[in-house]
Amino acid sequence: MTIGLPRALLYYRYERLWKTFFRELGCDVVTSPETNQAILAQGVALSVGECCLPVKVYLGHVAYLANHCDHILVPRFETLGKGEEFCVRFWGLPDIVRSTFPAVSLLGYNLQGHKPNSQALGFLHMGAQLGKSIPKTLQAYRRALLAQQQQDQQAEARQQALLSSSDPRILMVSQPYIIRDGLMGAPLVHMLRQQGGVPIYADSCGRSACRDGAKSLSTDLYWTLNKEMIGAIPLTRPHIDGIMLVSAFPCGTDSLVNELVLRRVRDLPVVQIVLDEQQGEAGLQTRVECFMDILHERKRAYEP
Amino acid sequence: MPQSASLGVDIGSVSTKGVVVDQQGRILASEYLWTEGDPISATKKVISSLHRQLSHEVQVRSVGTTGSARRLIGTMLEADVVKNEITAHARGTLLRHPDIRTIIEIGGQDSKIILISEGVVTDYAMNTLCAAGTGAFLSSQAKRLGIPVEELGDMALTSKNPSKIAARCTVFAESDMIHKAQIGHAKEDLVAGLCHAVVSNYLNNVGKGKHIEGPVAFQGGVSKNKGVSQAFQSELGQELFVDEDSHLMGALGAALLSRSAQRAKSFDWEIADLAFQTRAHTCGGCGNHCEIVSFYRDGSLLDYWGNRCEMGQVSKGSQIIS
Repeated sequence: MTIGLPRALLYYRYERLWKTFFRELGCDVVTSPETNQAILAQGVALSVGECCLPVKVYLGHVAYLANHCDHILVPRFETLGKGEEFCVRFWGLPDIVRSTFPAVSLLGYNLQGHKPNSQALGFLHMGAQLGKSIPKTLQAYRRALLAQQQQDQQAEARQQALLSSSDPRILMVSQPYIIRDGLMGAPLVHMLRQQGGVPIYADSCGRSACRDGAKSLSTDLYWTLNKEMIGAIPLTRPHIDGIMLVSAFPCGTDSLVNELVLRRVRDLPVVQIVLDEQQGEAGLQTRVECFMDILHERKRAYEP
Repeated sequence: MPQSASLGVDIGSVSTKGVVVDQQGRILASEYLWTEGDPISATKKVISSLHRQLSHEVQVRSVGTTGSARRLIGTMLEADVVKNEITAHARGTLLRHPDIRTIIEIGGQDSKIILISEGVVTDYAMNTLCAAGTGAFLSSQAKRLGIPVEELGDMALTSKNPSKIAARCTVFAESDMIHKAQIGHAKEDLVAGLCHAVVSNYLNNVGKGKHIEGPVAFQGGVSKNKGVSQAFQSELGQELFVDEDSHLMGALGAALLSRSAQRAKSFDWEIADLAFQTRAHTCGGCGNHCEIVSFYRDGSLLDYWGNRCEMGQVSKGSQIIS
């Protein structure tokens, strides 16, 4: 039995959880490759025009996996609990995939944090679908949770070490599935590194601490992923030299929340970069170069 | 007695600018001409023109390039510094006007705002997908009205009652302008209306949310248009500095930024006589289909770019196959 994991969207958040769970159950796991032009082109061809770039990319990954596995994991994420919500794309993801790929067998669970044990019950249900016993599934789930937790802690610790770097540190306020994607975010991060910048990822700053931290910017937000992104700003503030808001066209939640950041964060250089599928590298290069020039100049002018 | 100098070239989408400056940043020679979609030929023309203007005493010891073709031309001229337009413009402007706080720059295809505090660039913005408030918009409308783009500004100044033209978007502005013309608005009023449209578009897009503090400098090709300049002044309620060399600020900045290089051997003007060629091909190595550009001088490879990984590498000594 082979389970396919599309390397897109929440894969960048739950990779370890999902891989460990299915392997503990004795399944093989296959992951689609890093996003490339072919995957993007496939995704664009399969999507409606209004779809956001990350969902187009997701569909490209599903298309790649369609002939490489028995089931594809496509979970539905509604909420972590009261006052928390995921973008509607995450609510509708299994439906979008099912209607685009009617012949593909999907596996999934439904995260409804306002109901007790929603995630655990979801995993038990997946185990049952795969014909595994309840004790075996529960054991696999517990090990998977632990593995994910350990990986998150390690990522946080690694990042902590970068915060004391003497090169300009730039907080990348971006959804992990954009900034860590091989085609969307990777060229940008590469440019930044080439010019001596140290990227600090908002998604490696501790999720619950970030959700709390976001309250200092706004108490009204309920989009969980956005809170986790912008909450990293107050948390890392003493250790960063600039902020890069990286979003993909046309993300509804980012467009609102990034505007809020631009208006409320006034004491640090902030640049907003919106990626799209027609992106030319030249414009991106100019923006990154200029931002780095500003950070270097500031360091020279204001730090002895 | 040989005089040491620096060369700066700003290769924009519409025009190519070149300056040679002495150690104090005084302009010894300058040239401004249309790029016409061929940055290599345009640069060659600029280089030969600059050479003609200079005395034999002048020896160029450093070269800087900026503008959207900065990398290509930087390779061609073996530049010491290849800098983005924003930093270059700020550097050039600050030499002439050290107290400037805001730079408004409108070029052929893009427009920018640069905010400066105590001589340090603190913030910037560029137009993104939309080219509404730029020189390209003005020149296409000038063509439609049958007026040379250089005369737009003076014509706008003669208008007593500028037409109100929708400024949100080029497409709407154009249809709005045609409509106004058809119902009988005078040409000078339409032209003045266009200038106002450029300004309000700029302030609503590029300048959105930015605090524009004076003194303000206005530059880029469009700064030569007096109609736009006057529209900015009435909109911002303050005077704008338009340097007589406002179109050369990027090239000047690039020259200044390169100054520290001080090569042992001076720049070879004969470069204008060499054959430069570019070849683009799509790499089939993986699913990324990178578009790789190879750049040749007299048939042998100088440099290449566009590849995301080693698979797209072009072997160094390779010759052009024609």
